[in-house]
Amino acid sequence: MPDDPKRIVVKDVSFSYDVTDENDSLASRLALDGINVSIAKGSYTAILGSNGSGKSTLAKIIDILEVPDSGKVVVFGKDAGDDDLFWDIRSHCCVVFQNPDNQIVGTMIEEDVAFGPENLGVPNPELRERVDQALKDVGLYELRNRETTALSGGQKQKLAIAGALAMKPDILILDEATAMLDPSSRDDFLELVEKMRTEKGLTLITITHDMTEALRCDKIIVIDKGKAVLEGAPEEIFMLDNLWDYGLKRPVKFNFAFEIAKLTGSELTKEDLLSDETLLDALEKMLSKPGLKAPETADEDNGGDSEKEIIMSVKDLSYTYDGSDVKAIDNISLDIRKGEVLGLVGESGCGKTTLISHMNAIFRPKEGDVIIHAKDGDLSCSNKKDTMKIRQNVGLVFQYPEYQLFEETVFKDIGYGLKKMKVSKEEADVRVKEAAYLVGLTDKELGSSPFELSGGQKRRVAMAGVLVMKPGILVLDEPASGLDPKGRQEMFKIIRNLRNNGTTVVLVSHNMDEAAKNCDRICVIDAGKIKAVGTPEELFENNRAEELGIQIPRITRFSGLLRARLAKTHPGIVFDGVNFDPEKEAGAIVRAVCKMGGADAK
Amino acid sequence: MLNNISLGRYYPAHSFLHETDPRVKTILYFIYLVAIFMVKEPVTIGVLTGVIILQLALGKITPGILWKTIKPIIPLALFIFIINILTIKDGDVLFSWKFITLTGYGVERASIMAVRLILLIISTSILLTLTTTPLKMSDALEGIFKPLTVIKIPVHEMAMMMSIALRFIPTLASETDKIMKAQQSRGADYDTGSFINRVKGYITVLIPLFVSSFRRADELAVAMDARCYHGGKGRTKLNPLKLTLRDVLAGIMFTLLAVLVVVIDLSLR
Repeated sequence: MPDDPKRIVVKDVSFSYDVTDENDSLASRLALDGINVSIAKGSYTAILGSNGSGKSTLAKIIDILEVPDSGKVVVFGKDAGDDDLFWDIRSHCCVVFQNPDNQIVGTMIEEDVAFGPENLGVPNPELRERVDQALKDVGLYELRNRETTALSGGQKQKLAIAGALAMKPDILILDEATAMLDPSSRDDFLELVEKMRTEKGLTLITITHDMTEALRCDKIIVIDKGKAVLEGAPEEIFMLDNLWDYGLKRPVKFNFAFEIAKLTGSELTKEDLLSDETLLDALEKMLSKPGLKAPETADEDNGGDSEKEIIMSVKDLSYTYDGSDVKAIDNISLDIRKGEVLGLVGESGCGKTTLISHMNAIFRPKEGDVIIHAKDGDLSCSNKKDTMKIRQNVGLVFQYPEYQLFEETVFKDIGYGLKKMKVSKEEADVRVKEAAYLVGLTDKELGSSPFELSGGQKRRVAMAGVLVMKPGILVLDEPASGLDPKGRQEMFKIIRNLRNNGTTVVLVSHNMDEAAKNCDRICVIDAGKIKAVGTPEELFENNRAEELGIQIPRITRFSGLLRARLAKTHPGIVFDGVNFDPEKEAGAIVRAVCKMGGADAK
Repeated sequence: MLNNISLGRYYPAHSFLHETDPRVKTILYFIYLVAIFMVKEPVTIGVLTGVIILQLALGKITPGILWKTIKPIIPLALFIFIINILTIKDGDVLFSWKFITLTGYGVERASIMAVRLILLIISTSILLTLTTTPLKMSDALEGIFKPLTVIKIPVHEMAMMMSIALRFIPTLASETDKIMKAQQSRGADYDTGSFINRVKGYITVLIPLFVSSFRRADELAVAMDARCYHGGKGRTKLNPLKLTLRDVLAGIMFTLLAVLVVVIDLSLR
């Protein structure tokens, strides 16, 4: 039924990009390899897959932004290969891309929204009505005469949605549209899109790395190496054990549930995964099985509570940008302890980046100071003479560091800082290699151009370029953003390794799951001020997170529901602490129930 | 610091000049460009300054914005002033010391040169950049030069390129800032060392900036494609340019003022 008017059908489509290989001759890289996909009109589909699996190419094929080498695309009964239907199909399909800045054409907000319908030749007054309505739908109507550059990331993505809605599409594709947003604007954005979908009857396709986001959809399609390998409802897909092979993993709460099932020797069914309620029912039943065995306590690799020695002190630091009346950071005092991983969390624009820019004297303190307690004495960020020494002691990796590479080879790029420090060539060679191995790069990559590498590898090169200076303190701004689940996990493995080798890490993160799991202490920043500092356990106990205005880690939220239920059925149950690793938390729950004697105690 | 570039930036407000048809403003701009270069007498420069102050008021440009606009060119104006003052040796000598000779005529000429440069910048800003959004400006150029499409000059495409270039100035400025900060934290130093070293330092900034500009251009092209952009043919406009009587009158009035100033100037010589 390739001509079904109610489906988007992609049949046996192959597509390859032209790339130049090492010998400067043209080669082609296969992005889609005979892919077959069928998406129903009005459905909500998630497309998952690792970086480079061909997801985005598939989106482009559906919108005819790329023409398949072979195969057939039929959108709601219209053949995309038919030149007469080309504009008809494209004008009813809109895509919102990842980077908000690179899809805005207009300088003024309403001008940008009008760009699409203007291209379609929509006459006035209808054009004006469409633009106004689209702006009202996304809640940007009041700002219509403002400059687009003045918007925040979340608002820019809403603007992109308005630009799409003004074209009255049937299909809306989100190509990692939430990847660059912080959690609260992300939820905001998704709620808006889902509302628009029900109101306007859109077919919604979302390409994402966020498994919990995928759970909101009716259907999931998993793409690997240019082929659709799995297809089904979220509860079917997340039942499978081989997701990791495709660079994916289960959403946090499922990870946790499957671990409990394993520990109690039970099985979950796909019906259990349908909602929080059904899942909690199933878990409760498992935990009331007689004869449960308590799992052994996992080895804690806390590396012995970090030494209390202070390595960096931020003292009464305030900073105001030129031409602004608001303090970007306001009287911040913070001690960073040697050997710890300190998380900095807070919404976009709360001052995190301004704060870390002071930590290695990129910004010179205007009020207050930052003191680094280095091996050879104290260094002050307000002292210009200390600048070079500070930058050797404190490595700073900004967000998306892969966009800052510039040398001919990876080797040279990593060694750039050493050259600036006038380190001898022999020593530099050794140190570059050390840094490269530390982030998991091999000799093969060292010889190639940084621009030939994949996104994840480029990021490693950029990190190695900072690590090569052997900084005692490493400051990372969102090191895992934009990576797929496997890439994220590997990034945090690198960070843990660094910490175990004695490096102090300051980690800026939007992702509370990862912050709670990987940090020794977390500092919450809100509107330029420190709202709270403490261990993850302290911050997330007893609904304190709500008070602080931060997200609760998903594992803590879900496990909290289960704990509350168990407290009812097992009065007096005691859990030993909170864990932010789903597997460890599962172990703790099972152990607590076993201590009560399982179901026998009732 | 790069985010504070105000040259070429739109200043959102509701004013007489903001609402004037951009085509009228563009033509007026060329007229004033010529007038500023033709005027040579101090009196008429004064009158011209008066006219431009009137335009500033009509554009509701605050002194703060005005200052931000002319600040970057003050060093250049000073440079021109000093060069002229030192090289013009005609007229009564006011002051002389070794090889430096200041003459009354020289001071007068030098001042006029410097003032003219500043007037030029102000005029560009109030008539074009500050009161006209880039998209409107490209609409205006497209409107004025439309006849050239007959001889196969891609007027629409050129206007679109211009407006996109202007739209990306702030984006690329903040990108440059980011790259510089990242490299500084790896030990780069742009402010010290020999001139050659400093230039070399900037090359390391330019490479990633170019690479990222190409990437942005690529992504933007796909995004524009996805929004069905296919050239100027069959395009409609949200805010089509409409020439009203008021625009015509404003155009005629300011043209007459400019002509009057030039005529007075010529008659004074």
